Amino acid sequence: MFEPIFLAQQALNGLSFGALLFLLASGLTLVFGLMRIINLAHGAFYMIGGYLGVVVAGLTGNLLLGILTGVLVVAVTAFVVEVVLLRFVRGQELPEVLLTVGVSFVVADLCLAVFGGDPHTLPASAMVQGSLTIGDLTYPWYRIFVIGVAIAIGIALTLVQNRTRIGAVVRAGVDDREIIQAMGVNIGWVFTGMFIVGAALAAIGGTIGAGVLSIRPGIQDEVLLYALVVIIIGGLGSVSGAAIGSILIGLIDAFAKAWIPEFAYFTIFAPMAIVLVLRPTGLFGRTV
Amino acid sequence: MRSTKMSPRGRWSAITAVAAAAALALTACAPPGASNDGDNGGDTGTLKVGYISPVTGNFAIAGQEMVDGWNLYWEINGTEVNGVTVETIVEDDAGNPETSLTKAKKLVELDNVDMVVGPLLANTALAVAAYTSTVDVPNLHPVAAADDLTQRSANDFTVRTGSMSGSQMHYPGGVWAADEGHKTAVTLCPDYAFGWESCAGFSQGFEQNGGEVVAQYWYPNGTSDFSTYVSQIQSAGADIAFVTTAGGAPGPDFLRSFFGLGLGDSQELLMNCCSLDQATLRALGDEVLGFHSVSNWAEGRDSDTVREFNDAYAEKFDGKIPSLNVAGGYMTASLVASVIEKNGYVTGADLVAAISNIEMEDSILGKAKFDEYHNLVAPVYIREVKKLDDGKLYNTPIETFEAVDQWLGRTPEEALALPNYSQDFQGLE
Amino acid sequence: MNRTRITGGVVILALIALAIALPYIGATSYILSLISTILIAGILAASLNFLVGDGGMASLGHGAIAAASAYGVGWASKAGLDTGTQVLIALGITLLVSFMYGVLSMRTSGIYFLMVTLALGMVVYGLAFRLSSVTGGENGISGIRRPEFISEYWTFYYFLVGSFIVVTVLLWIVSKSPFGASMRGIRDSESRMRSLGYSVTSYRLGAFMISGTIAGFAGLLSVWLTHFVSPTSAGIHRSILLIVMVILGGVGTVFGPIIGAAVVVLVENVLSNSVERWPTVLGLIFILVILFARAGIVGSVIKLARRLRPGPNSEPPGASDDPAGLAPSSGAPVSERNHTA
Repeated sequence: MFEPIFLAQQALNGLSFGALLFLLASGLTLVFGLMRIINLAHGAFYMIGGYLGVVVAGLTGNLLLGILTGVLVVAVTAFVVEVVLLRFVRGQELPEVLLTVGVSFVVADLCLAVFGGDPHTLPASAMVQGSLTIGDLTYPWYRIFVIGVAIAIGIALTLVQNRTRIGAVVRAGVDDREIIQAMGVNIGWVFTGMFIVGAALAAIGGTIGAGVLSIRPGIQDEVLLYALVVIIIGGLGSVSGAAIGSILIGLIDAFAKAWIPEFAYFTIFAPMAIVLVLRPTGLFGRTV
Repeated sequence: MRSTKMSPRGRWSAITAVAAAAALALTACAPPGASNDGDNGGDTGTLKVGYISPVTGNFAIAGQEMVDGWNLYWEINGTEVNGVTVETIVEDDAGNPETSLTKAKKLVELDNVDMVVGPLLANTALAVAAYTSTVDVPNLHPVAAADDLTQRSANDFTVRTGSMSGSQMHYPGGVWAADEGHKTAVTLCPDYAFGWESCAGFSQGFEQNGGEVVAQYWYPNGTSDFSTYVSQIQSAGADIAFVTTAGGAPGPDFLRSFFGLGLGDSQELLMNCCSLDQATLRALGDEVLGFHSVSNWAEGRDSDTVREFNDAYAEKFDGKIPSLNVAGGYMTASLVASVIEKNGYVTGADLVAAISNIEMEDSILGKAKFDEYHNLVAPVYIREVKKLDDGKLYNTPIETFEAVDQWLGRTPEEALALPNYSQDFQGLE
Repeated sequence: MNRTRITGGVVILALIALAIALPYIGATSYILSLISTILIAGILAASLNFLVGDGGMASLGHGAIAAASAYGVGWASKAGLDTGTQVLIALGITLLVSFMYGVLSMRTSGIYFLMVTLALGMVVYGLAFRLSSVTGGENGISGIRRPEFISEYWTFYYFLVGSFIVVTVLLWIVSKSPFGASMRGIRDSESRMRSLGYSVTSYRLGAFMISGTIAGFAGLLSVWLTHFVSPTSAGIHRSILLIVMVILGGVGTVFGPIIGAAVVVLVENVLSNSVERWPTVLGLIFILVILFARAGIVGSVIKLARRLRPGPNSEPPGASDDPAGLAPSSGAPVSERNHTA
């Protein structure tokens, strides 16, 4: 139970799952945390990215092409959803819920119609192959790759948010819309852009994640649930919070399954409930 | 709470409503059509079949395959048998038991079907069987594997026509594993009834023949990331690992983690029907050559009946090879056709009794008959993934256990006296 | 009473008369069981509607409360206990679960409240699987009998019609009462109510208990209808559909829940017979309602009626039984609603 190889493997399992969660959650925390848009269609964006990425990567053998296709289609979809639908209900929670649930239903069903019911995974040819072997420990390179991608995206997001002008505009716009508009910024398009970025992150997560978690009917609700848990724990709007939350949930999940399997079901929700009771804004959230 | 101040109007409407409800419930006389005594079915020239399957949702692929198998039989052989036309109405239950029940009611009460076939998942199957037995409508199960359908909940109207109960199907796997010389085993099964029954079957087969199950792991329904469990299997270090899934994505998901953590060459593995079925073979390809599994269906079996069936399916479905779900649907159809051929139009308990009396020498599942609890008694195969002459991967039998019944070596009375299988009770001493 | 009230009253009476006459004018047992399903879903949606509309608290865990109650009845029925005891057990479980929900979620509001109730719902879902000796695990409990006096499908139908009327009237009374008014005050501005000396937490807890009790009642009815309960009823999909029903019908309206329930149940069960892509249709319905009838179906009808009515509209919002829910004009500031406690 406590042998070093086992511990190392479980830790890596937890980290790679956490990395996947971060890819999911980073997009959602931006949309949700900063723009206060309840987007229950986030899982559907992940799903489109996943299916398209797998199909294209399967046809071309190239993972990057798969990712790009997924991102492109999802970006267009997100643009349409935001401009045509979400703008009308901005600020109203419950209509947003109904609207995004509706989008999710439509997307999920259309994916079923187009891609069928078989689970889809990245073909081995498109993935980073082989395993890393250090002594007795063997670990698949692809999962390490997922961790790498998550770290890269996390750093990029933080830099953009804190060091660039667009990041400053977004943060200012969230704090005080009117002033930023008075300064001549078209806040509407900035928010649309943010929404698209959030969706694109989900799409990337979908394609890359398809090497770890197969894409199949029902995946959109599953990943949405995980993403919501992570951002609640981490605090809405905080990329670092999403990172911490993802790592936490990933590790807890991996070790709990090994050490207290009777509670495997609850390992996702118990931490969230505990955090909410003790610190309702999440670990890094802001009190508005 | 403050006292609620009722306006006169509010009080008035409340009292009226309550009085009306009470009066209605107690004094109303039966409306016309209230007596619903088995006058189902139309004329004796048509056998109406209600077919429930999860054609959408998480199990869409399995649900569609079950429908395809049934339809394939009638397309090949025509829907008219011995002067009786078989008419099928397909309903989708999306894997949700409440929907299954509503569809079953609709089929029985609105469409007046003579029998209900399906649904697929264990919980939906038990719910529908409980309902159909109260309205005297036969319920045939091509794929559902819940033990109790033909044990504690068995009745005159329920028959398992294409699959086996969970423990029944996997027991020979344990026997084979022990016979192969493996001394220790570790099991990984889904954490619900189907998983408990499957692992119980294997474990009993294994331990009754000299092996020892050193550890049992259970994964929650809906698991997609198996890396944790693969790590645990690795640290258990047993001679053989027995892994089951209920079909769909978990099969490939598990195998990917298995290979990724380097166990592909070092850990002997036995899987079940549904984790190593054609969908998994399509997803993983040559990586799983040589892998073993236990099931009552083997598409690579050397038999003309199987070959014809495979060809017919491949012709209609883009060269794909049939899985257990297809075989179950097809088998059920052939049983129904047999009954009509011999007896003409039958329904109700007679239909179930007639099916239970059938003995088929050469069905696609091998030599098949039924026990008094309306459960299938047929061969179980230990299969190996082989590439046959057409270049495709098939699960091919390397060992056959004939006439496997659901009692695992006990008498029915002994078996039924045991509690249901669970994490804590696996039938071991 | 003005003309609208009279018209409304007449329409309601006509509908009740139709409901009563239905079995006698040829509705088959299948149609009645469909309507029964709608009525039960309507009761459950109504319980949530009260919490969302008057209380401003959107919960994603109500399906689980109903399921817990259903499991209580199921277990009691299989254990051979008589009807009275079964109902008592269901009530006990409902109160306990609602209380737990209430206590654990009181510090949160807005999206956090949504998430806590979601988490608690998933806990119930997990327990339904885990405690398999009591709940039957994934197989659920089947073969549950309902009491003799309503064992016929048509007597049970009347019982449901009656129950629905009673629940609707009850919720309406609570809503019109001072308690309801206080709830709306808290919904609109917690800080103001607190400064006026109201104990916000007790009010919210009270509202949750009322809502939860009715949800538990709906759970009891549903297991009496289907003779079956399984973990799916406690899952997230059910709870999402519930809140969708409430919004679809019109938050805070009296008849919104049943209309929303009717749309969802009919598409799920009737449209699915002829249209394979019915989930797409359902999703499109949601989208179209939001685009063109944002206050929900019933809410928009009421708005339309009000606009067409001649004469000044002197009713202050929130004081009547019109939708005063969370669908204000789009410029409304949301910062207060997204508070954390």
